[in-house]
Amino acid sequence: MKRLEALERIEAVTRAWALVVTCGATAREMATVSRSERHLPLLDSMGLTCAVGLGVALGTTSHVGVVDGDGSLLMGFSILPTLATTRPANLTVVVLDNHQHASADGMASQAAQLDLAAACAGFGFAVDEVADGPALARALEKAVEAREFRIVLARIEPGNAEGVPLLLEDPAVLASRFAAALEASA
Amino acid sequence: MPKTSNSYLRAVADGLCDWGVEAFVYVPSSHAAPVIRDLEARGVRAVLANREEEAVGIAGGMRLTGVRAAIVMQDNGFGNALTALATFTVAYHIGLPVVANSRGGVGEYNSMIQAISGAVPRLLEALGIPVHELSHRDPVDTWRSTTSAAATLATIQHRPVVTLFDALDPAIAGAK
Repeated sequence: MKRLEALERIEAVTRAWALVVTCGATAREMATVSRSERHLPLLDSMGLTCAVGLGVALGTTSHVGVVDGDGSLLMGFSILPTLATTRPANLTVVVLDNHQHASADGMASQAAQLDLAAACAGFGFAVDEVADGPALARALEKAVEAREFRIVLARIEPGNAEGVPLLLEDPAVLASRFAAALEASA
Repeated sequence: MPKTSNSYLRAVADGLCDWGVEAFVYVPSSHAAPVIRDLEARGVRAVLANREEEAVGIAGGMRLTGVRAAIVMQDNGFGNALTALATFTVAYHIGLPVVANSRGGVGEYNSMIQAISGAVPRLLEALGIPVHELSHRDPVDTWRSTTSAAATLATIQHRPVVTLFDALDPAIAGAK
């Protein structure tokens, strides 16, 4: 599964969710799938996606999704114990795992040498491992039905989609739209 | 034994409550601990973060939902938090109050901490983040009103605003 297909699957299932999206190529590719005001792309805050998603989930009753990458998750790994001790039932974290920092010249992440699923399970999280689009969609649907904090580890192919433009919107506008969408959905 | 609070530290908690704080994210600090415990005792929702940039992400995310959230931390953690403060709260115009005890002044007992704490106001100012410092020169009422006013400033300016308070100064640490 390419990242773009994963993002299309995520968007199709999460149209009622608020989504916090990690930076770099993931945010840019998601913007080609949808420019929803429910999306908050973090344009340059590597490693912060889960933390921001947690904060949003703690402040709203709406369902919140985090679209993170293995590289970004590993950069902000200290969020996992915080997620374990807060565990908002309205939060689902999707980790798109390509075993690389695809936005950093494809440099390898440490994910290939780790068992991320076991690490997440070690924190007591319910973890779904998926490797194709239909399984990803099913895991997201299950996450809402389960009414518990879950992590979906989605194995994706390395690399970025070709020809995707930079995402140059004013972050203040993105935040303002996102906050307004959250308020409207409350 | 837990550190006891005093009128100055209670004034910091009072100031946040005057602002209407509903939640705070904290990174443990022995000298901010009385403020943290005071807020918890008042029923303000507390979230423990393991690193300061994580606290910025969580509290900033809460602010996007309209929750009156703040950060309570120690100033040596700003080295960890700078990128998150700049690329998230400053760039996304998030009005986030940050209250931090300062280190490295008179009363300091640690040999190295001034190396980061002494630079913190200039580091924050270089990012365009307003800093308000509270010391023994300020009466206790000012500790309260400045903490509250700085949080209000963050709210109306849609930017992070930092309040630093020197709890180690003997004139403060010895206060009742």
